[in-house]
Amino acid sequence: MRRALVILYVCLLPLLGGCSFSLAADRHDVERLLLIQTMGLDSWENGIEMSVSSGLGPEDAPALVMSTPATGIEDAIARLQNYSPENQLFYAHVQYLLLGEEAARRELANVIAWVDRSPTLRMDTDMLVVRGLARDAVVDTSGQATDITQRLASMDRQARSMGWTIYSLRQAAAALAEGDGALCLAVETVPTDGKVFTDQSQTDAVVPSGYAMLDRDGLVGFLDPEQSLAAEMIVGNPTGLLITVSGDTLEILDCSARIEGQFGPDGAPVGVHLRCKVRAGVLETAPGQAPAGEALDQALAETTGAWIAGAVAEAQRAGCDCLGLRRAVLSDAGDMAAWGGAWREIFPTLSVTVTVDGRVERSYDLAE
Amino acid sequence: MDEKRITRKQFSAAILVSLLSPLLRLLPQAAVDLAGRTAWMGALPALIPLGALSLLLAGFRRHLRPGEGMGGLLRRWLGPVAGRIVLVLFAGWFLFYGGFILRSGAERLVSTIYPSSGQDLFLLVTVGLCLAVSLGTMRAAARMAVIMQAVLVGALILALGLSLPNMDAAFLGPIGREDALAAVPGALPFASVCAVSACFSFLEGYVQPAKGRWRSLGTVLPLLALGAAVCLAVVCVFGPALAGTLTYPFFVMIRGISLWALVPRIEAVVITIWVGADFMLVTMLLRCAHEALRPVFSLPDPERSALGSLRDGRFLLWLEAGAVLGCSFLFDLPPWQLKLWSDRYIPLLSDCLLYGGFTLLWLVTIPRRKNKQTTHRKG
Repeated sequence: MRRALVILYVCLLPLLGGCSFSLAADRHDVERLLLIQTMGLDSWENGIEMSVSSGLGPEDAPALVMSTPATGIEDAIARLQNYSPENQLFYAHVQYLLLGEEAARRELANVIAWVDRSPTLRMDTDMLVVRGLARDAVVDTSGQATDITQRLASMDRQARSMGWTIYSLRQAAAALAEGDGALCLAVETVPTDGKVFTDQSQTDAVVPSGYAMLDRDGLVGFLDPEQSLAAEMIVGNPTGLLITVSGDTLEILDCSARIEGQFGPDGAPVGVHLRCKVRAGVLETAPGQAPAGEALDQALAETTGAWIAGAVAEAQRAGCDCLGLRRAVLSDAGDMAAWGGAWREIFPTLSVTVTVDGRVERSYDLAE
Repeated sequence: MDEKRITRKQFSAAILVSLLSPLLRLLPQAAVDLAGRTAWMGALPALIPLGALSLLLAGFRRHLRPGEGMGGLLRRWLGPVAGRIVLVLFAGWFLFYGGFILRSGAERLVSTIYPSSGQDLFLLVTVGLCLAVSLGTMRAAARMAVIMQAVLVGALILALGLSLPNMDAAFLGPIGREDALAAVPGALPFASVCAVSACFSFLEGYVQPAKGRWRSLGTVLPLLALGAAVCLAVVCVFGPALAGTLTYPFFVMIRGISLWALVPRIEAVVITIWVGADFMLVTMLLRCAHEALRPVFSLPDPERSALGSLRDGRFLLWLEAGAVLGCSFLFDLPPWQLKLWSDRYIPLLSDCLLYGGFTLLWLVTIPRRKNKQTTHRKG
């Protein structure tokens, strides 16, 4: 009996696998499987538009790029499958999720909820906001030799080495759920006509264009590139970031921010003090100019201080605490009751003092 | 009988593997929902009710005869009528709970890996496997539990380790006195999940006698530690607010892990391994139900007969497997309703029966125990 049962189970178990004779309806024919690597979403008055790119195929076969209007994401997935009956579109390996400006404004909460419920997309998918339409970014950047995924992967490497961060959907969703704002790398497409001469297809390039500020209601504004780098100085440690100060090109070696709550004599919170320490190295000096001493330290502090103050002011104007001031103050001061409840109301008018301590390392100067 | 008995270590492995199923289904989301970022600290206050339950079970265990489980003891203490009613009630709960575990396991597996498939096939296969194992000996099931413990705990630790790069300790924030108090409600799901180990007292007849009153508590300590680690990881990855709203935060978390960026999407493997925990729990509940029903019908030990035999009441195991399958069809509900059962009704019923039921039984049987002690002294 025992042997008969074992034989019976061994015979039945392959029916649960992914082979063609399996009883499971989810079997995937590997030869027909087409991995979607970039997904773009735009929002219109009466629905959405979804654009996808599969990435370059084997032996540099062109990417499959498609776009369709639909009533929702699941509807769009079904429609795109109909447009490509020879392939089975597979969304489990999407690397980049692009949100057009309108989609970021109106559909952000829906997208997060869909990713939670759907077993296909990962919460850790990198999310970017496209200035304009995501459709343009997906379609206009793809050609015979390249596609949006390849361009984004290249930009990803470059951006990370320059101190930018590509935040994931999970990071944004976590910050928004906490009641804070979130940062999301914004990108824009730029034509390569007259700049690239070897690429016959002349597709557009994708470049970083600052950070988008996301609130729980969606996109509330953008930080310009300098303010975005300043934001990165507050929330991260943008080593490798290049900045030009007094004609010299400096590389940020280390950066740390400390945010403290300021309290009045009665113990009530009156503002926030943001102290930032920036350490940089000289990478390139202006022609005929030796690296200056303390004046360069001062110039570094002034430049980055102005950027940081600008980023804070922009975030306050948008009413979006995407710089993590609340979290930093709460974890520092620990006085939850005084700050927590009314933070959204007090944040836009909060007094924020910025102090930057800049230090430039002297090195590599052969003239000295 | 002694050679048939499993060791306490094997018994603990069976409990740990079985309870990993409700642990990951219920714990992170429910604990975070109740206690926020201090959810992981809920394991500490949970020691109080679990310690009390441990003492209670040790009290029952002291009166067990060799080879006797909780079923036999309750039948002796409560008499033929009340004893039978109580045991049928317990057996009914084990089968009902088994049906729920079967359905929720199939729902999790199918919705995650086979979204276009039905669940019936998986229910049939799992219940078939559970029946096959429960028809065998406890020693075989316990040895299997030891192997599965290594696999499941290893997979869990690996999943937590690979999630480390996604964790942000800032979500934990500073923890003050108020936060420690806020962790107390988070003890509820910990206590609820670990209390399921009390069901296994019906299998005591197959286990070497326990030494010490705190043995039951010691069995669930590793589970509490794992639960705390899972809550900690989930809070650090998603933040307390998001983790409290996700359907299954642990399984969403492992969707984002990859083996050193070389092999992404390994959640299918982890979730498939997790079917093992559901399978173990349903198998054990089948045996618990059988051990509860044996004294009701005065049936002998089922391990005396061959695997395929229907004698010695072994047909009852087939009926119990059918009942579990039938109960699983009762839970053919939309995902949100199944989640409601998982988060509210099932823990509530389980707590009422295990904490309330055992306490009530202890109180009800006090006169009988006193009477017996007096007779003993006089004798």
